Amino acid sequence: MDALPERARMTAPLPRHQRAHGRAELGFAHTPRGTVLRHLYHAAPLRVLFPTPEPGEPPMAALVNVGGGLAGGDSLEVAVELAAEGTAGITTPAAEKIYRSLGDDSRIATTLTVTEGATLEWLPQETILFDGARLARRMEARLAPGARLLAAEMLVFGRAARGERLESGALFDSWRLWRGGRLDWADATDLGPAPGARLGHRFGFGGAGAGALLLLAASPAEAEAGRALLRAAGHAATLPRPGLLLARWLGEAMAVRGALSAALPLLRAGVLGLAPSLPRLWTS
Amino acid sequence: MATATTTITEGEALQRLLTWLSPAYPVGAYTYSHGLEMAVEDGAVRDRQGLADYIGAVLEAGAGRIDGALLAAAHRAASAEDDAALDDVASLAAAWRGTAETALETIAQGTAFLKVTNAAWPDARLAAFTARQGGSVAHPVAFGAAAAWHGLPLRMALFGFLSAFAANLVSAGVRLVPLGQTDGQITTAALLPVLEAATEAALAADPERLGSAAPVLDLFSMRHETQYTRLFRS
Repeated sequence: MDALPERARMTAPLPRHQRAHGRAELGFAHTPRGTVLRHLYHAAPLRVLFPTPEPGEPPMAALVNVGGGLAGGDSLEVAVELAAEGTAGITTPAAEKIYRSLGDDSRIATTLTVTEGATLEWLPQETILFDGARLARRMEARLAPGARLLAAEMLVFGRAARGERLESGALFDSWRLWRGGRLDWADATDLGPAPGARLGHRFGFGGAGAGALLLLAASPAEAEAGRALLRAAGHAATLPRPGLLLARWLGEAMAVRGALSAALPLLRAGVLGLAPSLPRLWTS
Repeated sequence: MATATTTITEGEALQRLLTWLSPAYPVGAYTYSHGLEMAVEDGAVRDRQGLADYIGAVLEAGAGRIDGALLAAAHRAASAEDDAALDDVASLAAAWRGTAETALETIAQGTAFLKVTNAAWPDARLAAFTARQGGSVAHPVAFGAAAAWHGLPLRMALFGFLSAFAANLVSAGVRLVPLGQTDGQITTAALLPVLEAATEAALAADPERLGSAAPVLDLFSMRHETQYTRLFRS
């Protein structure tokens, strides 16, 4: 390379890696037999599987990244649509992994559309950011009036089992929740150019190895009931808007996963009228 | 797109800036601690350095980061007389709240700010914006729009707003920790570089790529809701 003139070196192409761009689309309809799948499209490395639901439980689709994780430049797009009065859920069979990037972001974009009177659960397992990972993730949830959404997302900052922490890399993680066409809640995490410093700051992430966000959009009375259930179980919870319940946890990965695993069944049973359990794939 | 070319004297500008951001302006700023009351109760803030670290985190990575950028976006939309863009900023600012108490803090102050400012410094554009929003607007957006239409330059308005926010938290800290009044002012003086950096970050921010990085602060605010004895509303 040293023999190349400066100009040629600047424009020499970088080695190209084959990058993965997965997509999954799921459309659920409500019928007298219950909620059924009406539309399915998946493009590798994303696959959608449908484990047989427990008796009396709504369908719970499993999003599988057969690529085993995301490298820099990889992207995943997920679009879920649930028709009026339906009940369905989405989960993942394992933790998602975001590998160290050579420079490009790994991108994940999810849109959830929940129609009048329908209830959607978005309960993927945790996403593990390897040191040097660059993740840009955007969630857009659009709810009709009377629609309900229970969503939880957990991030792990480095491979805890190896004692690794996310020191370098990037995380931009954005949420937008629309209800009845109106922006109801917005949030984004941006760890900036030095993630390790933000994670370590005592009033930033307080040195936590993991964090989780739980969100329940429902009626004002249901959100208040959910807040009471979480508080009674010792979790901090708040209603930033009427009908929107929010809880957060920070800590080591096992503890955060434990807290989330305890909180979700409370809300499933106490507010949504579902079984007081986690998606089976979380525990199998 | 028309551009507002309000020019005002230095006296007019200073009077508006100092009055609108004064603790005496009737928006009730002194009733909010932005979670600090819980942090003190928890033992996480015990002294002058702890208070400075808390306020620094708010400005760099918490509400200061978001509200500064939203103030700048509101000022620019109002200066350009772009009502649709200003309404979008108002709705983003109302939605961008991590807890019930920080939502109350900004909406109650913004709403009070519009009420008194419309009465004492009437401006048809501010009155129309207030009416479109049903009277209820987040504080940085209400202040940013009023500042633009009353001829206060963006950088001055933004730096002033963040300084007043920080000074209000210092005042809460002086009462809660407690600290001496002089220690409070030493904290305020030491925050200058953080305020300057927060101002630059807000001016450069892209509203589409905006984010915070201080969930510890959200957790203090959430837990403040159930704190047994409380002086503050947030």
